[in-house]
Amino acid sequence: MEVGRLPISASQRGKLISAGYTTLSSLSSLSPSVLAREVNVSDTEAAQILKVASHGSRLDGSEGGCATINGAQTAWDMLHEEEMFPRITTSCVDLDNILGGGINCKEVTEIGGVPGIGKTQLGIQLAVNVQIPVDYGGLGGKAIYIEGSFMVERALQIAEACIEDMSESDGLLRKDFKACQLKMHPNNILENLFYFRVCSYTEQIALTNYLEKFISEHKDVKIVIVDSVTFHFRQDFDDMALRTRLLSGMALKLMKLAKVFSLAVVLLNQVTNKYTEGSFQLTLALGDSWSHSCTNRVILYWNGNERYAYIDKSPSLRSASAPYSVTSKGIRNSASNCKRIKMM
Amino acid sequence: MTPAPENLLHRPLTTPKCTLGCPLLDRCLAGGFPCNSITELFAESGCGKTQLCLQLALSAQLPVSLGGLSGSSLYIHTEFPFPSRRLHQLSHAFRSTYPAIFKTDPCDSIFVHAVHSADQLLDILPKMESFLSDPKTHLPVKLIVIDSIAALFRSEFENSPVELKRRSSLFFKISGKLKLLAKRFGLAVVVTNQVVDLIVPEGINGMRIGNLACLYSSGRRVCPALGLAWANCVNSRLFLSRNEEVEKEEKGLVDVDANRVCTRTRRRLHVVFAPHLPEGSCELVITREGVFGVE
Repeated sequence: MEVGRLPISASQRGKLISAGYTTLSSLSSLSPSVLAREVNVSDTEAAQILKVASHGSRLDGSEGGCATINGAQTAWDMLHEEEMFPRITTSCVDLDNILGGGINCKEVTEIGGVPGIGKTQLGIQLAVNVQIPVDYGGLGGKAIYIEGSFMVERALQIAEACIEDMSESDGLLRKDFKACQLKMHPNNILENLFYFRVCSYTEQIALTNYLEKFISEHKDVKIVIVDSVTFHFRQDFDDMALRTRLLSGMALKLMKLAKVFSLAVVLLNQVTNKYTEGSFQLTLALGDSWSHSCTNRVILYWNGNERYAYIDKSPSLRSASAPYSVTSKGIRNSASNCKRIKMM
Repeated sequence: MTPAPENLLHRPLTTPKCTLGCPLLDRCLAGGFPCNSITELFAESGCGKTQLCLQLALSAQLPVSLGGLSGSSLYIHTEFPFPSRRLHQLSHAFRSTYPAIFKTDPCDSIFVHAVHSADQLLDILPKMESFLSDPKTHLPVKLIVIDSIAALFRSEFENSPVELKRRSSLFFKISGKLKLLAKRFGLAVVVTNQVVDLIVPEGINGMRIGNLACLYSSGRRVCPALGLAWANCVNSRLFLSRNEEVEKEEKGLVDVDANRVCTRTRRRLHVVFAPHLPEGSCELVITREGVFGVE
């Protein structure tokens, strides 16, 4: 099939032909970034053209020998894509550093710790930080917050502090940019926070199933926080195999949500005592099979009088721990003088 | 039914809270005990947990403008006997402080129920739900007190891993149902707990839970009963401590007898962990009229 028959704009068609792409088969093994470079269009336009082209060639029924499997990407493209997505800051520099800049979109991160260590605080901070406008280095997205000990006034407090910090940096850096002045109000932040409350594990699973539809209607959601993912599952299950099945089903759905919609999924987990070899050890709840369900795992713990975060599992981050503190403004850097990042 | 997100701006921008009847104590707790969540209050026996709970049951009846919930309370007690005489004493004092509000006996709005075991508590929770949705009182129930939760669990379960696991799953069941009731009816749930002595030394992953590295009461190191599983079931945790402190010599008085030492009982309310509170504490005294904070 000819490029000339594709339903694309005339200027795009002209660019393709002058760059030498006259047939669909010549387009089939290209990736958006390469095409964008070659033809001098934007990445999104190139992706669009390729989508139309693959649709056209599918209709044609002729794929040719050089077609790639639908959906496959080269590692180079994946790296390029990863770099395009900014990470969600935690408002604590040390914590951001060990996380490689912040919480990553497209991944499931599990955060666990004893009660009172700051899991909910971190959850609320992330739900607020995801809304930082793109001009200030954030994602300008919305948040979904499921269950937990969510106190509206605390979210308001953290939102106000975040806006204050942004206006402060506004004052420091952009004194002449009156146009970019911050018009955010804490109420806007609350509006962009979708709060769901679940009261049982069946509700939790039903909600996870519904999220796909909800997020496709609200495309600007960039983070889903579940606080806590374990609570409703720790009741008596007569059939433990059922619990494992339900949990893995839920985990798969959440991973799919993260990948398909390019958002971050943060799961807050509790700790429990595991009885191994005659003694009790502190470990994250829900058992061994659940520990495979997340991409990254961060454990929060007390070290003396300080709160620390430790990267327990990650395919790309190094094992390290960093101190942080919980203040009235939310999660912030630790106040101690001798703070340093400990590499393990 | 499709789940729908709650509109955060439609609710009041602060969670409704139940005042304790004393402004100093309320300040430590940013208004009082919050609705829609479970607050645990733990202390040694004789520190004043029940006193605080009785006072709370009375102040819940205050109108919202005075910090109350304008509601009646359900008081579930597991330790016997129920202190009805003290309750009457406190309600008398309350009535004289707020004569315009308490036209009828405040005790009429406190529903007391005795529970003897954890299974019995699980059994009555559905009955509670029907009671809450159809109150024959003139004030809807806005506060549930369980005094104490520890007494239900401390004698029935052996110390084997299987039994402990069964005990933990009961915790989650009970607190799951309580949270459901709290959400559905907008209640504050207060649960009291006992303490056990703490002997284990602390390590980097030690059993520290909350703002206080060490909890002292009566000179001993203590920690709340029922363990880590229960700690995961409550939203906020408060600690009432009691310590004997040596009084300083008063100026002008010379004590010839060097062995005489004056001690005074000091009680403090500490915030161990809460999602909306910074760490803090407040000293309090227990008088005939109730529990009050001191500067």
